[in-house]
Amino acid sequence: MSNNGNGEPEGYRGALRERLIKDKIRTWSKVVIKKGDAEYEGLLLPRSQHTDDDYVTLKVDTGYNLGVLIDEEATIKEIGFHKGNYELPHIEVKFKKDLPNVTLLGTGGTVASRLDYRTGAVLPAFTPDELFSAVPELISTVNLTPKTLYQILSENFRPEYWVKTAEAIAKEIESGADGIIIGHGTDTMCVTGCALSFFLRNLPVPVVLVGSQRSSDRPSSDGPRNILYAAQLSGYENFGEVVIAMHGTPSDSYNLIHRATRCRKMHSARRDTFRTLSDIPLGKIDDSGVTWFKDDISPRRPKEDFYLDTKTDSRVGMLYFYPGMNPDMLESMVDLGYHGVVMIGTGLGHVGTDIYPALERCKEEEIPVIMVVEPLFGFAQLRVYETGRDMLARGVIEGENMLPSAAYTKLSWALGHTRNVDEVRAIMLTNIAGEITTREGPRGYMVLQGVEPGIDKMMKNL
Amino acid sequence: MLDPYNLDFKELGFHAGLEVHHQLKSKRKLFCNCPPILEENPENMDYSFYRYFRPVLGEMGDFDPGMLVEFEKGYKVIYLANERNTCTYDMDETPPFFPDLEMMEKGFILAAYFDCTAFAEEIVVNRKQYLDGSITTGFQRTFICARDGWVPVNGKKVRITNVHIEEDAARRVNWEDTSNRTVYYNLDRLGVPLTEIITEYMDVDNPEELLETAKQIGRVLRISKIGRRGSGAARQDVNISIAGGDRVELKGVQDLEKFDIMCRHEVVRQHALIEIKNTMLQRGIKKEDFEHTYVDISQLFDTNEKVYATIFPKMKGLFGIEVQPNKDFGLEIFEKSMLITGIPRKNQFHSDEIEDGALRANSDYPSDVKINHDLYSKICKVLNPKENDAFIVVEGPEKRALHAMKKIVERVKMAIDGVPQETRRFLPNGNSEFLRVIHGKDRIYPDTDTPPIVISLDRIKELTKNIGKKPWEVFDELHEKYGFNHNHVDLLIRDEKLAKFIEYTEQLQLDGNLSYKLLIILPRATRRKDLLLTTEMIDKLASVLSKKIIFKEQVELVLNYLIENPQSTEEEIKEKFDLPEISDEKVEMIIQSKIDKYDLNKIQEFEEYQNLILSKITGEVLKELSYHFEGKMLAEKIRQMIFVKEDG
Repeated sequence: MSNNGNGEPEGYRGALRERLIKDKIRTWSKVVIKKGDAEYEGLLLPRSQHTDDDYVTLKVDTGYNLGVLIDEEATIKEIGFHKGNYELPHIEVKFKKDLPNVTLLGTGGTVASRLDYRTGAVLPAFTPDELFSAVPELISTVNLTPKTLYQILSENFRPEYWVKTAEAIAKEIESGADGIIIGHGTDTMCVTGCALSFFLRNLPVPVVLVGSQRSSDRPSSDGPRNILYAAQLSGYENFGEVVIAMHGTPSDSYNLIHRATRCRKMHSARRDTFRTLSDIPLGKIDDSGVTWFKDDISPRRPKEDFYLDTKTDSRVGMLYFYPGMNPDMLESMVDLGYHGVVMIGTGLGHVGTDIYPALERCKEEEIPVIMVVEPLFGFAQLRVYETGRDMLARGVIEGENMLPSAAYTKLSWALGHTRNVDEVRAIMLTNIAGEITTREGPRGYMVLQGVEPGIDKMMKNL
Repeated sequence: MLDPYNLDFKELGFHAGLEVHHQLKSKRKLFCNCPPILEENPENMDYSFYRYFRPVLGEMGDFDPGMLVEFEKGYKVIYLANERNTCTYDMDETPPFFPDLEMMEKGFILAAYFDCTAFAEEIVVNRKQYLDGSITTGFQRTFICARDGWVPVNGKKVRITNVHIEEDAARRVNWEDTSNRTVYYNLDRLGVPLTEIITEYMDVDNPEELLETAKQIGRVLRISKIGRRGSGAARQDVNISIAGGDRVELKGVQDLEKFDIMCRHEVVRQHALIEIKNTMLQRGIKKEDFEHTYVDISQLFDTNEKVYATIFPKMKGLFGIEVQPNKDFGLEIFEKSMLITGIPRKNQFHSDEIEDGALRANSDYPSDVKINHDLYSKICKVLNPKENDAFIVVEGPEKRALHAMKKIVERVKMAIDGVPQETRRFLPNGNSEFLRVIHGKDRIYPDTDTPPIVISLDRIKELTKNIGKKPWEVFDELHEKYGFNHNHVDLLIRDEKLAKFIEYTEQLQLDGNLSYKLLIILPRATRRKDLLLTTEMIDKLASVLSKKIIFKEQVELVLNYLIENPQSTEEEIKEKFDLPEISDEKVEMIIQSKIDKYDLNKIQEFEEYQNLILSKITGEVLKELSYHFEGKMLAEKIRQMIFVKEDG
């Protein structure tokens, strides 16, 4: 809500706007509108974008909103003024010596949020007051310092934002933070998580990415619980990795701790959208504490070993192969001067033979092509079928079992260090941050992959 | 306490309003494509999950006070759901789908029945917060279709302030233990389209008017065929106040016949609370007199839990006052502290209970805190209360017992203001219990998931131009034409037979009472006997009556025949029941043979006997004539013959 002191009819357009200005009717005025027998009394609210120009939005005495068409017959009269102040109450927070210090870097994830009259949708709000007011339990858990890096939707992230985020994290670590939380939109949380995993070397503190799948403007939001668990994880647990910790089920029961490089958003809306693929999550956290499932977790490293390596090349693209794909898509990437390509191939990592000439061009122009698999689970293995071998012969690099987001960020990072294809190949095939599992146990496809208690009964009822 | 059955509602300044919630007939739920079907069998539940809720800001930037109290309850909410009627939307795992426009239109049609003048020309979907778990999102999606309408009630207009369309809430599964912090809901009902119709509460002055208002609204939902039928389709919330009291909402009344007892028990409650307030003022009590000082007296009890006591200065005798039949003020306070904190009311004790014949001991929820006179003295030694002081004792786990004490002190402070605004749960015995602090307008904010939907006045006019007659217009008409009372008309509306009735009376030219018999009395009677009577059979009957193939005296005979021979045609009926005309001589002969069996002098002498015999003979003759004769004419003939005898 923008502060509108000059009495402009906020959000109104066209003839209606002219009329409101002429009649000196402001938004947040209490008005009476008369049309024939009908009389409407209420607060004139700001109008949202993408709505009809000729209607006003009124908040009537019961708190409900409704819209009224203002035609020539209608009369509007201002009878009062009452501006809303959409702000969570202020909470005084004192620094406690015995609690760990955690910094929350906000990038636009919604832990608290506010209405936006421009779009009628929800915008994140990220002041400390708002946060503590929404989740008061935080106060007694850690000394939390929220800082706002950006206020953007996660689909608007770009590689330079990963770099800035990593730099901000490094600064907080230098300043003595015991843990870092990144508030992030869930859509591209895994991509940022992967990038940070490669940038932050020998992490001395946990870095926990967190957000909410249900926006925090609703009483059922998963945000408060996610942030609370993130605070406990980053403040108290002994690990030095970039993780994503979000709801593990539709219930408010436990959150799963995913290694960012193995994590993927698997549902457009559910709370338990995040899953670790081809492996099991690192652990879980609930009200009774943390249970670690895996034993290959990096502990907090000595602070002096920590360094930042954010060299990246943003001329990296990703192509999703589909039957009938025209090779000109890959050709055009070469023409446009891309430095590297991640290709998502069918099955074990295949593309149609039509694409071969373009692959040959990539090889000639020394543009590395990394192949990952469309099925998401399992390894790219180009030695099994003839097609695969043909592709290997054309210089394609098998992306092991890297997820697309890991392969993409890793290739950007590798190319930031070297344009030499053999060196890039060596980096890509080396496990840097858990993005490649050297072996794949069967449980990576079975455990915590959406098979919930009660499934037997559902099967019986089919 | 006033006598609930001897109240002068006018004198007491009684006012009441209604919020009628009625489910709408629909093919789908309001914001998703699940079928609106219920699942009664708990064995059939496919999955469950649980959640916790937190309050969020209203649009004007305030927390609704009611929501903060809801949060204080700290409920864990367990949902039970069924694959066939709930989806990820019902689980609050996916955003809403586009609302069912047909239901939106139904809202405008309903509004036209109520003569609403102000329509929402652009629908704005709002979120109304509920933290009790009854809605998985924590808010109900709801919107106004229209405002400023009315229904006629006993010769005056009761205003309809708002007509809403909204999604129904989930069904609470267990209500047995209100102190439990875990609550259960069945998700089947969640999202079923519902209308909420609100009346102006200053307009209703007594329980009879309240009942009639509810009936008028119910009639509209029936006559318009918009309301879903069956049990549970309608629920009413009632707002009640008396002069000096305040608006109290009583929730979830399904049986309109309970309105009367509900009003009476609420009136005596408000009156008692006002009396308590007056006594407190007379004793010079101020809010500051009540301190949050909780004394740990656990050592006096044989318990593993904590026992706390608090003194309430100058309150002696007030907690023991009866506020509703068989319930004292103390118990009323404990109901609230129990619901919010989970400390059972039986673990809460007030000092008036020590008196001989104290009401609490014989109430539905006597105290379990065992305090005899000896222990009472020991507690007094610790607390050192003054002569006119009262005290309250709470037993339970430390944190929750302290929480309960806090709520009790807060509630006693409120007593000096009289009647608190509350939403209360109506109980079968007519009393009510605290449910929550009344929810205000600050819990409502716009739904950011659904953009506004333009309806336009032209579209509204188009939708509402062909609505049928309003129930009260139908009543006036039928009352005037056929002398029908409300019961007659209500049954025609409830059984959805009004259109048929008009067809029978106007097109088939059948008598009103005969039409009513065909459409209401006979089907209901045969239903009671478990016989199948189809609409086609009734139509066939109406047709042969209209064509004068049969006499109305033959209706039952033909009906029985039709039930046994459902396929028979009009021709067959004609053949079987349209008997050749009987000559007057033959009829008179039969009549004569019947009259002869009775003492003619007695018939002529006593009028009552005469009427009795007359109808008896008519019946006997009709039966002998296979009912193929008009009864009225026959009766006249018999009467003439009796009196001809006399003259002769």
